[in-house]
Amino acid sequence: MSKVILLQRLSTLPMRHLQQAIGSLGDLWRTPLASMMTILVLGISLTLPTTLHLFVKNAEKITQQWHSASEITLFLKLSTSAKSAKNLLQKLQLYPEISKVSYISAEQALTEFKLLSGFGQALDYLENNPLPATILVTPTKRSSQADVVKNLLSKLEKHREVEQGKLDLDWLTRLEAMAKLLQDIVISLAFLLCLSVVLIIGNTIRLAILDQKDAIAVMKLVGATDAFIQRPFLYAGVWYGICGGIFAIIAETILAQYLTASLNKLTYLYHSDFVLQGLGFVESLWLLAFSIILGLIGSYISVRQHIRGIEPTTD
Amino acid sequence: MIRFNNVSKTYPGGFLALRQVNFELAAGEMAFLTGHSGAGKSTLLKLISVMEKASTGNIFINDTDLSQIKYKQIPYVRRGIGMIFQNHNLLLDRTIYDNVALPLIIEGFSHKEIANRVEAALEKVHLANKLRCYPKMLSGGEQQRVGIARAIVNKPAIILADEPTGNLDPKLSLDIIRLFEELNTLGTTILIATHDLGLIARMRYRTLTLKQGCMITDGLLQNTRGDEQSE
Repeated sequence: MSKVILLQRLSTLPMRHLQQAIGSLGDLWRTPLASMMTILVLGISLTLPTTLHLFVKNAEKITQQWHSASEITLFLKLSTSAKSAKNLLQKLQLYPEISKVSYISAEQALTEFKLLSGFGQALDYLENNPLPATILVTPTKRSSQADVVKNLLSKLEKHREVEQGKLDLDWLTRLEAMAKLLQDIVISLAFLLCLSVVLIIGNTIRLAILDQKDAIAVMKLVGATDAFIQRPFLYAGVWYGICGGIFAIIAETILAQYLTASLNKLTYLYHSDFVLQGLGFVESLWLLAFSIILGLIGSYISVRQHIRGIEPTTD
Repeated sequence: MIRFNNVSKTYPGGFLALRQVNFELAAGEMAFLTGHSGAGKSTLLKLISVMEKASTGNIFINDTDLSQIKYKQIPYVRRGIGMIFQNHNLLLDRTIYDNVALPLIIEGFSHKEIANRVEAALEKVHLANKLRCYPKMLSGGEQQRVGIARAIVNKPAIILADEPTGNLDPKLSLDIIRLFEELNTLGTTILIATHDLGLIARMRYRTLTLKQGCMITDGLLQNTRGDEQSE
């Protein structure tokens, strides 16, 4: 074959790809009910892990608001002078694990206690202030995990000015364990549902291949390569991925809108400014790309498995 | 062009379809392949078109040993062979134009060239007016001619035909054979498997005769009637 002819043939390649891509979309269009059913199943299968992802995303946002749960309270010894306390405060500010420290003097603590406890006048009869000065330590975001905070607490308790440190570790540990469990559940479910998407597309393409078994045999007879034959089926997988992905994005948007209304009522009752975060533009694009990749994988596995086995016959 | 060296073919189950077949068909030669049903004619054509692999022996097309080629090379071997089979092998959901254009689309010809070649091929088999029809709208003979048009459209070096005139009337049969002769004069190697001994006798081309998988004669068929009676 001369170079000119070869170049001419290569120049028609993009057009052939386009034709086969449009042709495979036409094939889906010609069987609307079956195609729609497949797309719906794919869309729902993608919507479920996406919903869980959003749930985790919003849960993380909420737990960030509860970040103070890992706040350490350091009760200073009664003998600690204001100057020593200030020195300690400066030392603590140098810790890389600490984001903020605030000092509450014994007097401030007593005033606050008077206001909150309702024993205001009774406390005036006390000869001495029984409350110690305290330092509130807020760890950085990175150091707010239970084990890191626990280490930090033991380090802080070693300062001679500190009488006792306090941290509600059990609650924090439980919260973290729950968050981890939730994350693991989401990952496992997402994996299973993605696997089901691949299997659904693979099976749909397998049925399409079997339906066109005779045509494939004829194509092989006249010299079609497996790559040429499998191309429309791969495009069909991509189309299923695109349609399933778009369905999942739309379903997710509707779901987020629907839940926002109910959630607003709840957050109003709790005086919270929490706003439900839906699927962002970039996340939507990722979902679409992921869906296309799953479609391509499903169809590729199917064509590799079945097209090679079909051979032309003369009978 | 085509060379068989001690080729045998045994199908799974033990049926021996071809035994130690040897022959050579030169480039640009035209020959008939004859023999009774089950003699091994179709198997021989399938081996050339790589639809089956020889159990023993070697088949060469030009210098390519078909027993050595890889799976990925098979389509490229088939592109050089125009195949015409009794069952037509047409795509029923595509028009006659699309059926005939298929080998050209696969090879990546431009739209313009495809249109020109398809029209020319259909003209040769007298079906130029059936471009937009579907195979089911045509008679068996017409479908056979569409198969022939598809086999010649990409100007292959070899044409293998299994009973190409089986569904045609005598006049059309002769037209098709004349078409093969025309292609042959342009250098195409042609092997036609047929039962039609009358046709073979009229055309007087080299004839390979198979009997129970063995090649019993190779040359001009001298006494057609006598051979027929002796079977």
